[in-house]
This record gives sequence, structure tokens and C-alpha cells, in this order.
Amino acid sequence: MTLPDHAPVRHKRKRQAFPLVLVGPAVFMLLLVGLFPLIYSVIVSFQGLTMTDEDTSFQGIANYAQLFHDQRLWESIFHTVLITVIALPLELVFGLMMALLLLEPIRGRQVFVALLVLPTMISPIVAGATWRLLFDNHFGPLNQIIGWIAGHPTPLLWTVVPDLVYPSILICEIWQWTPFMFLLLLAALSGVDRSAGEAAEIDGASYWQRLWHIELPSIAPVMTVAILIRALDLARVFDVVWALTKGGPGTMTETVSIYAYVQGFQQFETSYTAAISFLIIALLSVLVAAAVRKVEFVR
Amino acid sequence: MQVLKSALLAGARLAAAAVVGLAITSAAMAQSAADRAVEAAKKYSGQTITIVWEAGLQSLDPLNFSGPKWEKLTGVKIKVIEVPTAEMFTKILQEHRAGSGAYDALNVIPSWMPDLAAAGALEPLDSWIDKFGYRDELKDIAPVFRDNWMKVGSKIFGLPDDGDVFIMYYRKDIFADPALRAAFKGKFNREMDVPKTWPDFAEVGAFLTEKLGPKTYGAAFFRDAPYGQFMFQERFRNEGGKFFDADTMKATVNSDIGVKALAGMKAENKFMPPGVETWGFVENLAAFASGQTAMTISWPPYGRWTAGYGTDEKVMSWVPKTQIAGKVGYALPPGGHPELAAGFSLSVASGSKNKEAAYLFIQWLNSREISTERVQIPYTLRDPFRENHYSDPVYLSRWPDAKDYLATLKLASVSGLLDLSIIQTDKYEEALRQGISRLWAGDDPKAIADKIASQWDAITQKVGVEKQKAAYADWAGKSAAYPH
Amino acid sequence: MSAKSNARHRRQRAVLALRYLAVLGLLIFFLFPVYWLLSISFKTADEIFASPPVWVPSSLQLNNYLVLFKDGDAVTVWNSLVTAGASTVLATIIGGLCAYSLARFRTGGNGLASWILSQRMVPPIAVVFPVFLLYVWFGWIDSYFGLILLYAAFNLPYVIWVMRGYIQDIPIELEEAALVDGCTRWQVLWMIVLPMARAGLFATAVFAFVFAWNDFLFALVLTRTEVTTFPVQVTHYFGGQSNFWAKIAAMSVLGTLPVFAIVVVFQRFLVRGISMGAVKG
Repeated sequence: MTLPDHAPVRHKRKRQAFPLVLVGPAVFMLLLVGLFPLIYSVIVSFQGLTMTDEDTSFQGIANYAQLFHDQRLWESIFHTVLITVIALPLELVFGLMMALLLLEPIRGRQVFVALLVLPTMISPIVAGATWRLLFDNHFGPLNQIIGWIAGHPTPLLWTVVPDLVYPSILICEIWQWTPFMFLLLLAALSGVDRSAGEAAEIDGASYWQRLWHIELPSIAPVMTVAILIRALDLARVFDVVWALTKGGPGTMTETVSIYAYVQGFQQFETSYTAAISFLIIALLSVLVAAAVRKVEFVR
Repeated sequence: MQVLKSALLAGARLAAAAVVGLAITSAAMAQSAADRAVEAAKKYSGQTITIVWEAGLQSLDPLNFSGPKWEKLTGVKIKVIEVPTAEMFTKILQEHRAGSGAYDALNVIPSWMPDLAAAGALEPLDSWIDKFGYRDELKDIAPVFRDNWMKVGSKIFGLPDDGDVFIMYYRKDIFADPALRAAFKGKFNREMDVPKTWPDFAEVGAFLTEKLGPKTYGAAFFRDAPYGQFMFQERFRNEGGKFFDADTMKATVNSDIGVKALAGMKAENKFMPPGVETWGFVENLAAFASGQTAMTISWPPYGRWTAGYGTDEKVMSWVPKTQIAGKVGYALPPGGHPELAAGFSLSVASGSKNKEAAYLFIQWLNSREISTERVQIPYTLRDPFRENHYSDPVYLSRWPDAKDYLATLKLASVSGLLDLSIIQTDKYEEALRQGISRLWAGDDPKAIADKIASQWDAITQKVGVEKQKAAYADWAGKSAAYPH
Repeated sequence: MSAKSNARHRRQRAVLALRYLAVLGLLIFFLFPVYWLLSISFKTADEIFASPPVWVPSSLQLNNYLVLFKDGDAVTVWNSLVTAGASTVLATIIGGLCAYSLARFRTGGNGLASWILSQRMVPPIAVVFPVFLLYVWFGWIDSYFGLILLYAAFNLPYVIWVMRGYIQDIPIELEEAALVDGCTRWQVLWMIVLPMARAGLFATAVFAFVFAWNDFLFALVLTRTEVTTFPVQVTHYFGGQSNFWAKIAAMSVLGTLPVFAIVVVFQRFLVRGISMGAVKG
């Protein structure tokens, strides 16, 4: 993928300043809003700031040590992983199925695609709010529909009962992001060279054989990128859960983002939250590094 | 002689002073606290005051009534910031930390006042109260609110502005039904009266659901955790529970009484409408107003709306219409010591760039004259909190049973229990809220109570045991902290 | 026509019918929630609080929307427009220049490019707290400037990454020719590169706009009253004495319409925009 250096060789001296001038503002902004706060919060994470305590003395690694004893934190990480490992494969499979369905020409395909992608464009907080209205046990249509199917009223408490809270979060999550997978995979599949598939068809390969041996391998890089992007999104999931359950019942659906928000902005555990931020960054850096490499590779 | 003369002179001076004093007083008397606030606020004409108000119906007061009226009188605009109750504390403190001066005046739930004052988020009001002559009118706020919802230490940080208390509402016609009464007597060998204890309540509630359900259930409450938390605090203390051991500051919320209260709440859901676990203020109101439930406990607005008072107002169009007007009785909840749940005091944000104008607005809101109007606005959620509100002749005649309603409210203000208010109260309440939501999720009451206690102990440890012990002793020393 | 091809023809038609059926099912699943939101925004209180629920509002009454305008809540949509709009312009200009530099001069080599991309992938929750502390320090909380700066910075990696791809696809010969003719670097940028990259720039801007528009977490933490954006306003209606469903729905629709309009108008850019340029659309 490496491109030859296209830059013209003339005007060598002038050139050295010009590229830096172009890059300067962007780098400055990223440092200001990205790096600078991080450095500042490194300092804070070694202090003892809380809601009532303005203690800026050096506390050693007390806040970081506390991370390991904080059961609620590790539970919230587990919840996040749980949502990710269930939602991600489902979104991938459903997205793929939708892409295959609309791959062959069908009248109105463009309109269908545009309509099916709408959920992905909605603000996640609105998506969560919408599903909360749908899930309402009294005034929402979902229980009504289930009641029709079951033949009797079924007042399911979607956002209250432990057995249902995760399904409701997952349904909302899948509803919103399957179209994303669909769109990416559809584009990738459309780009697959047809001739190999046609040759295989003549040789008597079935649809599924062709899919498995020809089409899927050729879109594998795109799938990897899509999975990585979604995994990073799911690792930070906040809005949808916030709108649906706020992490409840109890802390049963609290994700790591919600927990960090609660600690930082509701409990005002300033220094401790800074430490949590770094834990999150450390845990995700592996994923981020992989994603950066893959995205670059596919380009 | 000399002595007499000087005595006379002194007398004359005294008399003169008295005359001057009288003149000042009468000049002041000519103007009410509300008028004084309006006069003084005119110099801020054209400016805008932001006030944090609870999201939803509460906000209709400043949005539709007091805000526009104040603007007309003084030229000062009011901008209302609606914040959900559960986030008010957070937002106010966040804003204080951020220091952008975005909020001028605040609605503060009194149990948070110590924390907010300690953090420096609230401005002491004493000097303005003197400057604008408001002390007299503060005196006739009902004692329980005046003595507990106003000060932190010796300074005044809030003007008590909402006489919140939980009242039991019941269907008089159902409790008077001869057939039901006979059946109840046959089964339990006692009269079917409005329940005075929780075991009583469980029996009557289950009985009524059995006889009238599913058209009408024996009872329903708002069970959603933020509300359920108050119901627990009330019930726990009515049954004799204490939140902490006063000597060690160990949480005793997981005592047998605590476990029993949680288990009782859970068990009662069986005779309440399905889905009651998610109910909030409006769902519960809708059920009671439409005749779906025979008993409920809630804040005072239920009493007004189910009587049909003012529900024709356009802004009330979305509030469920009452089908039980004239059939609603009022009583103290089981145990007889209702929770003075939440409530509001009006405060000035220390970060405000316009503190005096903000103060003047809240003095005007809170004044005898304006507050008497405000507690009667049909769509408001402000409830009587001044002595004269309970006896206001206009209010007494608002609907046929209004006198019973106001009498019950007054009674409740006397026997009511304060919300727990110590250092970092919100964290303790959050543990309770989580516990309640676990209760509905099906966790074991004992396990929940233990978890709450261990969370409370952890918070206490973090705050500092001795510090919190002092704060708790201070709170528990108040007459309305525990039943007596 | 032979029997065999006839049978095959029939089978193809059956498959096609099945596919349409499946598409119909998908449309229902993905669009019904949107319909429900829309329908609630038109319902009267009685219809919203009816059980079993009413599926079709009796009339298209606009009261729920009018209330938002009357009480001034609708201004939050304007705030979203300003912050998302201005930050998009800023990010597109600064990011576009940076992308050009990366694409044409390989400034900073792979290291800089990777670093920029990794900025995009840091979870907001890890950044939002430090940013909050910084903003408190500078007094940028609840200001247009603060939010615009943040959104712009947050969108920069995305803009740079996608634009780098677009610019690499532009043939370089024109630029070289212009330089030979004596144009300055800036003139080349303005007269040659900009016109050719315009479509890509546009598509990128659209997505940067949508990302900023849909943000909740940063706005929740960094705004109070003056620049509250619509997603934050929506959550204000939860809780209190009730969930104000009518307001939730109407505000959500107001905040979603612009994005839907964008999807419809720019749907041919969707693929490339949505995937950070990872997949060439």
C-alpha cells in the first residue's frame, strides 16, 4: 500500500516549511484537547481530590491500587465485555445476511439501502429513548405484540427484570448497528470480482460453497476492520444503556463508561476517576493498536 | 427633681423612639415582602435570571405562572432550567465546580443542603433577608420546614418552599361498601378500616384485590427506585428502625426491621397491578385517578387532582383525568409518621453573577402573598407549607373535601419524618436506590439490606467516621428525625 | 420454452418473492421504531397514555412541537446546529490541510499518521474527564467555543484519515504542472486541489457533522444552559414526576430530521464516509 513519494523534487528548501505549516494547526489542536488533558489528569490521578476534599498532595499509587479492589469497576468491565461479545457476532451475521440479500439486483435496492441505514444515523441517545418507549410495559407496543402472539396479556418489565435488561439493551444495540455492518459488507461484496464465482458455479459449486470459499475470504479484510471499529464502539457503550436503564437495576447493566461517569461526575471522585480513565486506555490500547494497523493495511 | 427630670426626658426619648419605630414599621407594613422584592428588582429590569427547577410538572409554575408574572412586574426575565430530580444535585455541584455562573437561583432538596453549603455552592441569604425585610414572613412557615429546611449551621441557605409529605389516599366509597365490610369482618373478625399499620395494610390490600381485581386493585405505589427509596426510609423508621448505631456509626439499615421492610414491600407487589415495579408519579396517579386502585401513598398534588381541582386547565391535558372525584379520603400512611419526602428550598447559587436579583426573585416566590397563590395553582406541584396556607379560606373552599385535605396535610407536617441528611447524603441515597431496584429485580431482601449496609459503611469510612458521626448526631437530634 | 427452463423460471420468481418478503420484514423491523417515535410526537396525551397503546394518532396535531418552541427548548436544536456546523467547518479546513500534507509530503511519516488515527479510537469516556478539568481551568464550560473546539478536535483524525485517501486518489500531475508554471503552493491548493477534492471534502464534512450532532457524553458534561444540545435536552425529560413522552418524542424527531435529510441527500457517500475510508465506496 505504500505510495511512492509523489512530491515534486523542485523547490526543495521552500517545501520543508510548507508541509509543517499545513500539519501544524491540526497537531496543535489534537495536543490541546487530546494530550494536554491526559497529562494533566496523570497528575490528578496521583492526588486525592474528591467532592469535598481539595487535597492536591501526592498520594502515591493509592488510586491505582484501589482499582484492583473495586469490585464494581471490574463488574462494569465484565458487563461491557458481555455486551460486546454478544452484540458483535450477531451484528456481523445479521449484517452479512442483509448484505447478501440485497447484493443481487432487486428493484428499489437504492431506496431500501437508504431506509435500512437510517437507524445507524440516529443519535444513540435518541435510539435508546425510542426503545424505552417501545419497551414500556404499559404504554409501549412491544408487550402488546407479544401479547397477540402469546394470546394473553404479557406485561414484561423489559428494563427492570434481570433476565430482560440485557436482551433489551442488545436489541436496541443490534437494531442500531446491524445496518452499519450491512452497509460495509454490501460495499465490500459488490467489489468482489465476479469471474471466480461464475467459474465455480459452472464447475457445480453450490451457492454456499462459493460464499464460503470465494466471497467471504475476499471480504475478510473489510470484515476485520468493521469488527474492530464496532468493538471499539461497543467498548465505550454509554448512551444507549444510559437511556434505557442508567446501568440498573442496581448496577446490573453498568458499563465501564457509565461507571466512570458516575464516579467522576456524580460522586465527584476526581482523582480516582482519572485513574479509571488510564485503566480504560491501557486495556483498550491493544485493541486500538490492532485497529490502527488493520485500517492502515486495508487502505 | 433632677432625677425626675432625667427620668421624664428618658421617657420622652423612649416615646419618640417608639413613634419613629412605629412609623418605620408601618411604612414597612404598607409594603409586603413581595412588593419590596418587586420594587428592589426593578433596577435589574432587562436582565435574565436562570433558575434550576425540577423537570416536568414542577417547572410549569415558573414557566407558566411565576416567571411571566415576575417579568411583567419587574422586567426581569426568568429562564427555567429543567433538571430531573435524580440529577439536580449532580448538576448543581458540577456547575459549581465548573464555575461558569450558568445558574443564578436554585431549587435545592433540603437533605442536600449541608453538602452543597459545605462545597460552597450556596450563598448565605441572611444579609438580604435583613436588607429586604423578610424575617417576619419566614416565621410563619410551618415549624417542621422552618426549623429543618432552612439553615446549615447558623446561616440561612434556603427558603423552604414546598411542603412535601406523603399522604395516603383511599377510596371512601370502597371502604364504606357494606358488602365488602361484611365480607372482611367475616374473614378477619375486625372492621375494614383504613390501615394504620403495615400488616393491616397488607391484609386490606390483598383482600380488596381478591374481591375487586383485576378491575380494581387493593393498592399501588410508585415503586421506581428514586421514589421507592423514600418509601423505604419512611417505613423503616415507622417500624422502629435506626439508620446507624449512634456510637459506632455502623450502618444498621440491615437490621431485622430493614429486612422486614424490604420483604414487605416486595410481598405487597403481589396484590398490586402488574408492572407496578416501574411506576413513577404519573403511572401511579393514572391508576388511582381512573379507579384502578383503592389506596395509594403519594405527595399532596394527588389529593387536588383526584378531586378534579383544576384539571380542566389546558396545560394539565396530559394528566390523567379523575374518575373518582368526591370519593377520595385522606389519611396518614401506616405508622402515622409520613415521610417529608424531598421537598424544595429556594437558594441562590454562589457562582451567580447576579445574586441579588436572584435572591429577590426567590423572596418574591416564597412570600406569603405569592406562595399562597402558587400552592393553589392547579398545575403546580407546590404544596402548602405556611401556616396560612392550611387555613386559607379560598383554599378551604376549592373543593368539597378540601378542608379534610388541608387538615391532613397540617397533621402530616407535625408528625412527619425528615429525609436522612448527613455528609454526602446523595451517596447513601444512591445505595438505597440501587437496593430498591435490586429488590424489584428479585434479589433476596436480606442480601440487599446487607449490601446497602456495607456500601453505607464504606461511604462512612471514606467521609471519616468521627466527622460523619457528628453530622449524624446533629441530624438524629432533630425532633423529626425519628418517630417519638 | 422447455419444461426445464420453465421450472427454473418459476424457481427464480419464487426466490425473488421471498427476497422481497425478507426485505419487507427488515424494513418493518428497522423502521417501526422510527415510526413509533414519529407517531408519539403527534399524539395527544390521552393517546400516549392509553393502554393498550394507540398505533395511529387521530390527527397530526403539532402541539407537542409548539410547546418546545414556546418554552424555548427548541433552541437546543439550534445549539446543535451551531456547534456541529462550526466544528465541522473548522475540522474540515484544518484536517483537509493536514491530510494534504500527509498525502503529498508524507509529513511525519507513518508515525504521525498512526498517532492521529489512534486519537480517533481513544474512548471518549477516558478523555471526557480530563477535558472537563481542562475546561474548568480555562473557563470554557458551557460555551460555544469550548464545544466547537472539542468537536473539531474529535473529528480531526476522521477528517484527516478520509481526506488523505481522497487526496491520494487525485492525480498529482496537474499540481506538478501548475508548480512548473510558477504557481505558489497555496495557489496550487486553492486552484487545483480544492476543486478536485471537493466531493470528498463534502462527504467527509457530512459525516463529521453527523458525529458531532449525535454526541451525547461530551455535551452532557460540558454544557449547562447556554449551549445545551438536543440529545442532552432529550434526557432532561426523563425522570421528574413523569417521563414527558410527548416532549421526548417531539424533540427526538426535531433532532433527527436534519440527519435523515442528510442520509437521503448524500446516500451515495455513505459507505466511504461511515467506514473511515477503510473501504473504498
